[in-house]
Amino acid sequence: MLHYAKIWLASARYSVVRMMMFRGDFLVWSFVELFWMSVNLLLISVIYQHTSSVAGWTKYEMMLLVGTSLLVQRFLMGFFWSSIFELGRNVRSGNFDFFLAQPGNVMFMATTRKLDPDSLLNSVIASGVVIYAAHKLGLHPSVSDIALYGFMLICGLAIHYSILVLSISLVFWLTSAQGVEGIYFTLTEFSRLPREAFKGITGVLFVWLLPVVVISNVPAQNLIGHLDWKWAAWLCALAIIWFSVAVFVFNRGLRRYSSASS
Amino acid sequence: MNSILSKYGHSFLVGLQSNLVYRWNFAIRGFFSFFHLAAVFVLWGAVFAGTKEIGGFDLRQTLTYFVTLLVLQFFISAFNEDYQISEEIRNGLINQFLLKPINYFAYRFSIFTAARLVSGALILVPLLVLMPLLHNSLIFPTDLWRIALGIPALLLSAVIQFTIAYCFGMLTFWFLEIQGFVILSMAVESVLGGQIFPLDLLPGWAFRAAQFLPFYYQMYFPGAIITGRLNDPQQVMQGLGIELCWAIVLLGLSQFLWVRGLRRHTAVGG
Repeated sequence: MLHYAKIWLASARYSVVRMMMFRGDFLVWSFVELFWMSVNLLLISVIYQHTSSVAGWTKYEMMLLVGTSLLVQRFLMGFFWSSIFELGRNVRSGNFDFFLAQPGNVMFMATTRKLDPDSLLNSVIASGVVIYAAHKLGLHPSVSDIALYGFMLICGLAIHYSILVLSISLVFWLTSAQGVEGIYFTLTEFSRLPREAFKGITGVLFVWLLPVVVISNVPAQNLIGHLDWKWAAWLCALAIIWFSVAVFVFNRGLRRYSSASS
Repeated sequence: MNSILSKYGHSFLVGLQSNLVYRWNFAIRGFFSFFHLAAVFVLWGAVFAGTKEIGGFDLRQTLTYFVTLLVLQFFISAFNEDYQISEEIRNGLINQFLLKPINYFAYRFSIFTAARLVSGALILVPLLVLMPLLHNSLIFPTDLWRIALGIPALLLSAVIQFTIAYCFGMLTFWFLEIQGFVILSMAVESVLGGQIFPLDLLPGWAFRAAQFLPFYYQMYFPGAIITGRLNDPQQVMQGLGIELCWAIVLLGLSQFLWVRGLRRHTAVGG
């Protein structure tokens, strides 16, 4: 465990040094993410100018939900996105060999190599959105509520990570996983919507089969004070199931990898 | 004139062939766009659950607006033209155009036209497949003036879309990496182009201000004419005038950036 912590710290140090080398780039990307987060908040603001409730959620409850969804997404982008995105290209080009030769679990090494400090910086802003919404709602969560919220975010992060690893693992079979990022971003759109808005086939698909809605709704409801323990347990179980499937599929894919060097 | 038409006609045909190679790519993109539409239906369905009208329009009119914008996107939007131009500048591929009697803007525009023809035709496939599910949610006005004014609005929108992408591509003469700028502008264009929400839902002053920006004419303007969110032909004529002005300004800007950029450009190698 300590061994992996040291490896991760070395990667984190490398990412920070890289960020300091390309400061302009860091600033532009920070703005890009900030802007996209603002777009989501603007949508809420416009909608609630014309109505007072969406699927039973008030404006600031909705803002808390969107803030939670953005927070999980920022963590995913900050800790894993670049590495997982490059994984697809590396398998195709044969550069993936480099990870096989490293002293550690291949999935860990290949998916944690790069950090995106701009996304991590924006996670502070996403937290600010959650805190602001909680303040506007007059919430006073206890330490245990906040700890549970944090734990649920980790479960959500594990599910997002697993979905992304599973999608990108297709590259072991298809050789090209172009456009996977588009699929992922489309799915995250659903995570910013209240669970109660999903009816019929969309409910089955996005609440049960692809749990993107549960990931944001359950922690947000916990902070608001409407926690249903059955859903909390389901979120935890989903994290374990999806992560196990991702590990299994990744390792199966690894067996097919035959390098690409000439 | 004939030689010009034949020259760019060839570029168009090459563009058509190379885009047909990526037909599956466009088809998959089209398919996932309908997932985005599902999110739109869920959200706006919930928004309209407590009220019959928002901003003077009912649920069907609002969903029609979003479906129309999605389809129009495949006919007139610039997809990755900015990256393609940026790559050609960075890799020195534009050097060949500097030595030939061909206008780079016209060459890229003919390829853009071919690409949108292919992507536009391909979005019709998932649209037709999903029509049994969608048709109850769609309602279009039937005034003839909408077609007469909507077509020039659409054509000018395509010019504005392409020219903005072209200008971003030109930035490669000054910056090595333009991806950040492109995604930043995509956020601005999505909001002010009306793709996130219909612009008429903005407060009155913000909506009026948006009408003087080029982004309004990228998507919202033609979409609103077709779907009945703009109902005064006089106002639409005024909009067409502003749209034409923006198309001219952006064409001028693109030419200016090309000339200034070439001064900085260094062609290395054979």
